[in-house]
Amino acid sequence: MGSRIGIWIDERAGWRSVWGAIFLRKIPKVNWFYTLGSATLFTAMLQMITGILLTIYYVPTPDQAYESVQYITTQLPMGWLIRGLHHWGASAMVILSVLHMLRVIFYGAYKFPREITWFTGVILLIVVIGFGFTGYLLPWDQKAFWATTVGTRIAGVAPLVGDTILKVMRGGEELSAITLVRFFGVHVWVLPITLLILMGIHLYLVIRNGISAIPTKGK
Amino acid sequence: MEEQKPTEGQASISRRNFLAIGTLSIGGVIGVGIGLPSLVYLVGPSLQANAVQEWIRIGSASKVEIGVPTLYKVKTERRVGWNVTEEELAVYVLTENGSDFTAVSNICTHLGCRVRWIDGKDQFFCPCHNAVFAKNGEVVAGPPPKPLEKYPVKVENDQLYILVGG
Repeated sequence: MGSRIGIWIDERAGWRSVWGAIFLRKIPKVNWFYTLGSATLFTAMLQMITGILLTIYYVPTPDQAYESVQYITTQLPMGWLIRGLHHWGASAMVILSVLHMLRVIFYGAYKFPREITWFTGVILLIVVIGFGFTGYLLPWDQKAFWATTVGTRIAGVAPLVGDTILKVMRGGEELSAITLVRFFGVHVWVLPITLLILMGIHLYLVIRNGISAIPTKGK
Repeated sequence: MEEQKPTEGQASISRRNFLAIGTLSIGGVIGVGIGLPSLVYLVGPSLQANAVQEWIRIGSASKVEIGVPTLYKVKTERRVGWNVTEEELAVYVLTENGSDFTAVSNICTHLGCRVRWIDGKDQFFCPCHNAVFAKNGEVVAGPPPKPLEKYPVKVENDQLYILVGG
């Protein structure tokens, strides 16, 4: 029965060839280091799911942000789990992306014809760090407040434009309600959309160019 | 017939199928592991009953006119999640003899609009869909499925209390 529905859909949507191109493509003999990209992708999907769930209760205003996070963590059934996954997943994202990048560097996998995959990957890493930076402020506790005070001040050290960057990031001179909402907006709209677009290009190129084999000595 | 190679039974599952089944199983476990807690997380507050029952003082009992539902309004604090809101509770209190009191909510049981007591007609009317309730809260006409909600009432030192929540 399942296959009849599958055929019915395939006749109209041609999903089997897409499935084949993604999952049944030929790959060289590789090792476990080649799973780091997929691990990053998996963690990204987990972050999306748990992140969407968190926005169901989280409120990005100074008078309610902290309380709503406390509510999620202590009152809501399974809230500790969802927030915990998002919290630890954030660290996992950074670690896995960097390890994935190191594998690509050491195996020389960034070379022709995979330069664009590499470029998008580099921007993706910056996006991931952006997620970490903006997400860190959202619980609106002491650690979040001071970490962002320091973080934006670091950006302010840049010559000439530093002060402007600092004010743009904070939405004014000081950390305020404006800072919190703009970090929230960037965290849940700007960065996810950027991430999805870049991830789409990145994955398309991985499939289109195939993955590189482990380099051998003298080659 | 099938006995030529007793160990073949295990080998008949191909590497491809083994990996496919393995991937699907692990994926399924992860999916359920995330899916179930997510569902609990989403419906959590919907299932938590408003457990706090308390007597709220609404005012002096001597203000109630005999035989006429009298409107009392009180402000109450309501804590939902992390948020505390001030709410106005409106109840009509009725007594026929000056000692036994009944209290009904002014919330129409049809779709939640506020009903009003009309003196000349001696009935409650709801402006939204022409619901009509009798003095005791019973439905007289219109779409409401049930009578106006009644609150338990008590009188202490001439002060009226109603029991809310639970």
